[in-house]
This record gives sequence, C-alpha cells and structure tokens, in this order.
Amino acid sequence: MLTEFGKIFIFILVAILFVLIAFVMAKLVRPSRPTYEKSTIYECGEEPIGSPWVQFNIRFYVVALIFLIFDVEIVLLFPWALSYQDYGFYGFAVGIIFLVVLGIGMAYEWRKGDLEWARPKIQVPVLNNLIKRSEVKSES
Amino acid sequence: MLQVGLQHFLIVSSILFALGIYGIVTRKNAIMVLMGIELMLNSANINFVAFARYGNFGLHGQIYALFVIILAAAEAAIALAIVLNLYKTFAKINVDEVNNLKE
Amino acid sequence: MDMTNLSELVGLLTPEISVSLFLVAIVIFDLIFNKDKKILPFIALAGVAVTLFFVVSQYGEIAEPIKSGMITVDKFGLYFKVLILISTVFVIFFTLSSDEIKASADRLGEYYTLMFGMMLGMFMLVTATDLILIYLSLELLSLSSYVLAGFTKLRSRSSEAALKYILYGAVSSGLMLFGISLIYGLTGSTNLYAINDYLLSSNGNVVILALASVMIFAGIGYKISAAPFHFWTPDVYEGAPITITAYLSVASKAAGFAMLVRILYIGYVSVSDATGHWTVIEAFDWQMLLIVISIFTMTLGNFTALWQDNLKRMLAYSSIAHAGYLLLGVLVLSNQGLIAVLIYFFFYMLMNLGAFYIVMLIANKTGSENINEYDGLGYTSPFLGVALTICLISLTGLPPTAGFIGKLYIFIALVDAKMIAVAVIALLNSVVSLYYYVRVLKHMFLTKATETTPVVKASSFEKIVLLALVIPILVFGVYFEPIINFAKNSLAGFGL
Repeated sequence: MLTEFGKIFIFILVAILFVLIAFVMAKLVRPSRPTYEKSTIYECGEEPIGSPWVQFNIRFYVVALIFLIFDVEIVLLFPWALSYQDYGFYGFAVGIIFLVVLGIGMAYEWRKGDLEWARPKIQVPVLNNLIKRSEVKSES
Repeated sequence: MLQVGLQHFLIVSSILFALGIYGIVTRKNAIMVLMGIELMLNSANINFVAFARYGNFGLHGQIYALFVIILAAAEAAIALAIVLNLYKTFAKINVDEVNNLKE
Repeated sequence: MDMTNLSELVGLLTPEISVSLFLVAIVIFDLIFNKDKKILPFIALAGVAVTLFFVVSQYGEIAEPIKSGMITVDKFGLYFKVLILISTVFVIFFTLSSDEIKASADRLGEYYTLMFGMMLGMFMLVTATDLILIYLSLELLSLSSYVLAGFTKLRSRSSEAALKYILYGAVSSGLMLFGISLIYGLTGSTNLYAINDYLLSSNGNVVILALASVMIFAGIGYKISAAPFHFWTPDVYEGAPITITAYLSVASKAAGFAMLVRILYIGYVSVSDATGHWTVIEAFDWQMLLIVISIFTMTLGNFTALWQDNLKRMLAYSSIAHAGYLLLGVLVLSNQGLIAVLIYFFFYMLMNLGAFYIVMLIANKTGSENINEYDGLGYTSPFLGVALTICLISLTGLPPTAGFIGKLYIFIALVDAKMIAVAVIALLNSVVSLYYYVRVLKHMFLTKATETTPVVKASSFEKIVLLALVIPILVFGVYFEPIINFAKNSLAGFGL
C-alpha cells in the first residue's frame, strides 16, 4: 500500500537511477580520446572568442526590474477577477483605480526614459595626422 | 502510513526560515543577504497558506500570501536598485567592506 | 459587505484618500511639467493642508472609536496624524532651503512623491488594527524611506545608508511577518480584537505566543529604533539627507509608537478599569520585556552619544535615548502613561526638528556636521546659536522649556505606577545626556571662534521657520495646558 508521496518517491528514485545508469554505461562503453578541438566549448562550429563568464549589460537589469514589478502586481488581479461581480460597481471601480495607478507608473517610467534602450554611442575614429593633399603636391 | 498534514508544512517552513536566517548572518554579499530575506518571507507564506488550509480559517491566509509575494517583489526591486547604486559608487557589494560611516 | 458599508468606509478613510490623490497629482504634475520644479512644494503643501482639514473635521465628528474591518478610526490615531502632518509641513520647509536636495533638483518630483508615500504608510499604520494591514503599511512606509535615505546619489555615504537601512529593515520586517503568521495559526485571525478575545478565552501554547510576540516586536523595535534593533539608526541618520533624517526621527518614530500602543493595548491586555489602569494578559508578560528594553535603549543611546563628534550622529543616539524614555510611558499600563507619551511626542517633534534644522543650515555653509565647526558659533551667528541652545536644553529636559514638561509627565506616570527604580534610572540617564548636549554649547559659546568658523546668515524665511519651532518650545514650557488637554481629549475612549 503506497501513499501519494510514496508514489512520488518511487518516481524520483527511478528518475535518478535512469540518469545514473545511462551515464555509467556510457562511461564504460565509449572510447575516450580527447583532443584540444574536442574539449573546447561548442559555439556552432566557430572558434570561441573570450570567456563565457561576461557581465551582462546593466540595461538588461533595469528592464528586468521594471518587468518584475509589473509582472507581480498582476497577481492582485486574479482574486479581483474572480470576485468583483459580487461587489457591483464598487468592486469594478476598485480594480480600475488599481489599473490606472499602474498605468501612471508605466507612463512615469516611459517619460523618465527608463524604457529607452539607449544604444551606446558609436565611436567614429578620428584621424588627426592626415597628410594634406596640398602638402603632398608641393613636395613633388 | 504517511499522511501529509499541518506539521509537515510547518517543518518545511521552519527549515526555510532557519536557512534564511543562516544566510543573512553568514553571507557578506548583499545579494546573498537579500536571498536570505526572501527565504524568510516565503517561509511565512507557507505558514499562512498551511494554517488557512488546515485550520479552516477561510481564505484569508491565502490572500495574505499573495500580498506578501507582491511586497517581497517590490522590496527586492528596491533593494537591488540600491545595491546597483552602491556598486556604482563603491564598486563593491560586500556588506562588511562598505563601512565608511563610523565614528 | 454591501455598498453602504463600502461607502461608509470611504468616509472613514478621507485623510488617506486625500494623501493618495495628492501623491498621484504630484506624479502627474511631474510628468507633464517636467521642467518646472518650483511649483511642486506648493502642491505638496496644499496636499498637507487639505489632509489636515479632513483630519481636523474627523477629529471633531468622532466621539467613540469606529471599528470597521481592518481599521479603527479614533482620536488617538488622529492625534498622531496631526503630528505627522505638522512635521511634514516643516520638512517641506526644510527642503526649500536644503543644499543637499537642491543638488539633485531634477528628481524633486520623486522626492515629494516618496514623501507622500511615507505619509500614506504612516497614516495607515496609525489607523490599522489588523496585523496584516499593519505589516503592509509598515512596508509602504519603509520602502519609501529606503529610497529617500539614498536620495542624494552624489554622496557615497547616502547610498551606504540606504543599503544598511534596507538590509536591517527587511530582516526585521521579515521576522515580524513570521511572527504574524504564527499568531495567525495560533488564534485563527489577524484582527487585534479577535486575537485579544482568543487570548482571554483560552490558554494557547504559551511558548509559541511568546516567540511570535517577540518576533513582532522586532519589527516595531526597528521602526522606533529600540535597543537590540537600533544598529541602523546612527548610520542612516548620518548618511541620509538631513531633511529625511529629521522626518525619520520624528514622523516615522511617531507612527511606530502608535503601532506599538495599538498592538499592545488592544491585543495584549485583559482589563481596563474605570481609573484608566490596564492589566497584562497572563500568557505573555510584555511589561517586563519592555522595562528591560527601555532601560537598555536609553542607557545605550545616552552613553554612546557621549563621544560622538558628528552632530547628526549625536542626535541619532539622542533619538535612540528618547525612544527609551517614550517606551517608559507605554509600559506603565495606565492612561496617564499614554497621555505622557502623546505630550512628549508633541514636544519632541518641535525640539528635534529645530535641532536638525539648525544643523542643516550650518552644514549648508560648511558641508560637514563635525562639532569642531561649531567653535565660537554663538558669537559669529548668534541667532542660530541661541536657537540651538534652546533646542538642546529642551532635549535634555531642563525647566523653562517644553522638554521638561514632557519628561515630567512621564516621571509622574512612572511614580504613580510605583516603578521608582525605573524612574531613578531614567533620571540618571537624563543627567548623563546633559553632558553631551552641553558639550555642543561649550563649543559654541566657550571656545574662541577660529578662522574656519562659518558665519551663517539665515534668510528671513529660514528665521521664520526656525522661530515657529523655537518659540513654541519656550511657550509650552510655561503654558502647556492646551497640549495636555489635546492629549487627554485624544485618549478619551481609547481601548477595547
């Protein structure tokens, strides 16, 4: 006689065993002849450039923060959506006020420029030591 | 035969709470401390939902859990923004290294 | 819940609704007129004025406390709302002449928005009688103040203050939430009245109750900066812009005390007899806990303040010590003690705001709050010197000032409750505090002015604001009847 959790336990056990057996079998059967080419990181056949451990751009982070807040606020709408009909117009108005406040927050972010994906300025190389055409001519 | 009851939820929540406190006390990285705080808040959430379910207190506990989830997200967002600001000024986020305010 | 009930609730919440509407108004104004920052303070002042009107008219209408769901509207809460509004007005005035804030004037819209956010949190906090609403409003207050503490991004100490504030704050509010969840499991409710009913009718698990209550106290103790949870106070007070420091030390602390009194005097008391004396519930003796915390708080605050050279930091420790004195009024378990708390808070607001304002004016000139900058200041800028002297004497609690009256009422309440030993300790603490307050006076008046001593010329606007703080300190020192009547009137009908 198994409880519900007993079934889950057996399931977990089987899952672990399945992976373990697969790995151990592969380890025993396969030949192991590593070369430099084989042990490098696979990047669609290209040669990898630089370390994969780079810092992400800070702009991702601001967008993620903004997303996080708005994403989670929506959780409050679920209980409201289930029950606003019971409260008539007041119930409806409460939800609308909430959404309007959220909208103002969104407008604020927009206006303050936090949603802009500010591109880094492209540095145009400036050439200082150009030999002027006139100088070349006078020499010749 | 194992019946999952209130006790099991409480055990899980106290383990989470203890882990949270442990993380806060031992970690020096501000982000890690924040993770500890999140663990604490979520352990309280488990308590709320479990009590509401097994104590027959109605749905209040589950709604409280929703409120706490939203608050936790807001708090995390503000905390991360502050940590980011700090990183711009100090170029480090370890709590014990940022210590200019002393007598 | 039907419609009439909801519209009634809206009627009870007029001050909060007014604050919220003005918060949104500031945001929208800042969005549309992005360049024009001059009008923002006036919108904020208008918001405070309108809210004050609603609060005062509610104060006149309400006779008995009105309990409605998660909130209770009574004169006790309205008294604290008046305090919060008055201190908000002064902080807005401070902001107008603060160089720190002017340096980041392009974000002034956010500054006032967050200030109104703090105000909304405090308003909800003093009204709430449900633990979960208390937690939510506490977080609203805290989240706004975390950002404000780090408002001046240019200075590194400001962002450090914000980090320390949010880490300590989040930990203690997390503890509080866990305590609330345990109380919820124990009693089946988060409403303070229901919790009280449960605690009176049955003997639940005493250990769990004590544990949960101590955890809840962690959240409150952090807000009022009581001793084991005070670590953030000096750092945040020093690092935050001075206007915000003043606001935190007065308004935020007032809201914290209102919350403390509500939780303890609704949830954790059993009887209140006709003479206004209360009895602690049997299951959890919080009176003893508060005695220990209060003595610890004021001793630590006063003794650490002795060797502070930064005036902001010194005032931070002094505000910790004052939290200790105020806790004495809470723990005597009588209406007399609560009246003493209300009176003390009114005077504490005036003198603390005054002291921070003068420190700010001088810091505007010199860029630091070090005590050596005050050498001979009493001669180079006599107006500020004399005003600071009055504020500091009042903070010590010496006779011709309002601070004396506040302390006197607390001591009378203590002696009436036969807690002579505690009263003696508090008195000795006051003597210790005299030393560090007088030290500033010594620097100002008995030390010769050096070349670095600033000559601070206050503008006429600044003089008027300062006089509006200092003159009441002197007037209420001799003619204190109105405040006492106000406080007594506010406490009428408070309780179960």
